[in-house]
Amino acid sequence: MAELSLHHIDKIYDNNVQAVYDFNIDIKDGELIVLVGPSGCGKSTTLRMVAGLEDISNGNLLLDGRDITRVPAKDRDMAMVFQNYALYGHMTIYENMAFSLVLRKEDPNVIHKKVLAAAEILGLTSQLNKKPSQLSGGQRQRVAMGRSIVRNPKVFLFDEPLSNLDAKLRGATRREILLLHKRLNATMMYVTHDQTEALTLADRIVCMSMGHVQQIGTPLELYDSPNNTFVAGFIGLPPMNFFDVTFQDGALRGKGFEVQLSDEEKATLANYNRKEITLGVRPEDIAEGGSLAVKVFSNENLGMNTLVHGHMGDNLRITAKLRGWSNYRNGDIVQLGFKRKHFFDKETTNAIRKGDR
Amino acid sequence: MMNEQSVRLDRMRFTKNTTSSRLAILAIVFDVLYFVSLYKTNVDYYYTLIMGASILYNLVFMLAAFLSSEGVKNYKQGFSYVLCVLGIIQIARIFILPIPAHATTVKIGGAELLAMSDGQFTRVVIYLIASAACLFAAAAVNLVKSRALKAHIASLEGQGA
Repeated sequence: MAELSLHHIDKIYDNNVQAVYDFNIDIKDGELIVLVGPSGCGKSTTLRMVAGLEDISNGNLLLDGRDITRVPAKDRDMAMVFQNYALYGHMTIYENMAFSLVLRKEDPNVIHKKVLAAAEILGLTSQLNKKPSQLSGGQRQRVAMGRSIVRNPKVFLFDEPLSNLDAKLRGATRREILLLHKRLNATMMYVTHDQTEALTLADRIVCMSMGHVQQIGTPLELYDSPNNTFVAGFIGLPPMNFFDVTFQDGALRGKGFEVQLSDEEKATLANYNRKEITLGVRPEDIAEGGSLAVKVFSNENLGMNTLVHGHMGDNLRITAKLRGWSNYRNGDIVQLGFKRKHFFDKETTNAIRKGDR
Repeated sequence: MMNEQSVRLDRMRFTKNTTSSRLAILAIVFDVLYFVSLYKTNVDYYYTLIMGASILYNLVFMLAAFLSSEGVKNYKQGFSYVLCVLGIIQIARIFILPIPAHATTVKIGGAELLAMSDGQFTRVVIYLIASAACLFAAAAVNLVKSRALKAHIASLEGQGA
């Protein structure tokens, strides 16, 4: 398939608004890269620049080593799947899937074979004579994918393809995309604001905010070792708890609470003695039986887990994801402890790792 | 693994019979040319019941041919027979108006003239024959394709496809 490289890509609109700043990534052949971030972070703009639907203001886009920065969209050999499917309502599914090849004036017999093969992959064979209006949202999205597959492009681009689907269908279609990626072993770029999609689909995730790349890494890297408070807060559900604390005498002191640290954690913060830092704790890294007294104000049972929302110290909000079924009532006091902690520089918001500063 | 012939057949499961459909539409176009050429005259000879019936028949023909074009588009075998009947009627129409008119003389401004001139006669006959030819061709193409498709689907069902 294809290797794609984005080198120092910027997007500056005519009104001088900069949407993307210095985007760099080398995407390996067959890799599935997910761009994730909140609305307006520049992820769709980046994808559209790759597709050729937006001009690249600065930087270079290379496909298999060839500079395609100024190559028109139709000549880039990339296929894009949109959120709204973009299917032709008056055409059958077969005609929709065949349309791009018909425009290229390919042999009808070849088109037929390609459409049937794509329909087989996507489980659409029995739907080929139907119109898009007769299909469900998930099936329509599969048709949109099928239309890309028949073109056999070098790179597949997905722009929030599951956003129009309900939660159940989204999960099913997500698994189909994953299977499709494994089956085609194609290079794919996928844009989403849904971190679950990002974590489950990606070989690597690009987390973006305000046009800047915050971190590029595997899902586990982003979850386990976030670069900064933004990534730490964005990846993970419920989001990470943050507390302003001071590292002093081998412990962290916050407003109305104190947390003891292990020797390893003390070593990590060796250069931050008596300085303010941000302590981050994932809700799933909080367990019952610690030294922190939390006054519960909400208890949500999820079956396997319970989300307990409460206040600790000087009215600091905390969310804990406790194992099993709990029945805390409003006002109950529960003793909690932190199993794993993340530390961030208060000024730069960057993660503090062993040997920093 | 399908060979080229069976791929061509298989394609018909998902594509329309546009050849027959377009031929049927072309037959309507030729019919329009026919009656436009026929009715432009102001010779009294034409103002008879037959002319009124001809006008009505044109409406019926256009409707029937259009519906048949939609039918054959979906490989409906029955519409081939409808198109054949319409084609036969188009040929028959040559003998109902053009030939008698071409054989009749009328007095215009004291001069004895043909009710339908040689040029007009040639044109309307060509249009009717062309219309009929399109209808027969559309019917034949659809008949062949629909039978082949039927056999192909039967063979697929036989294979458990």
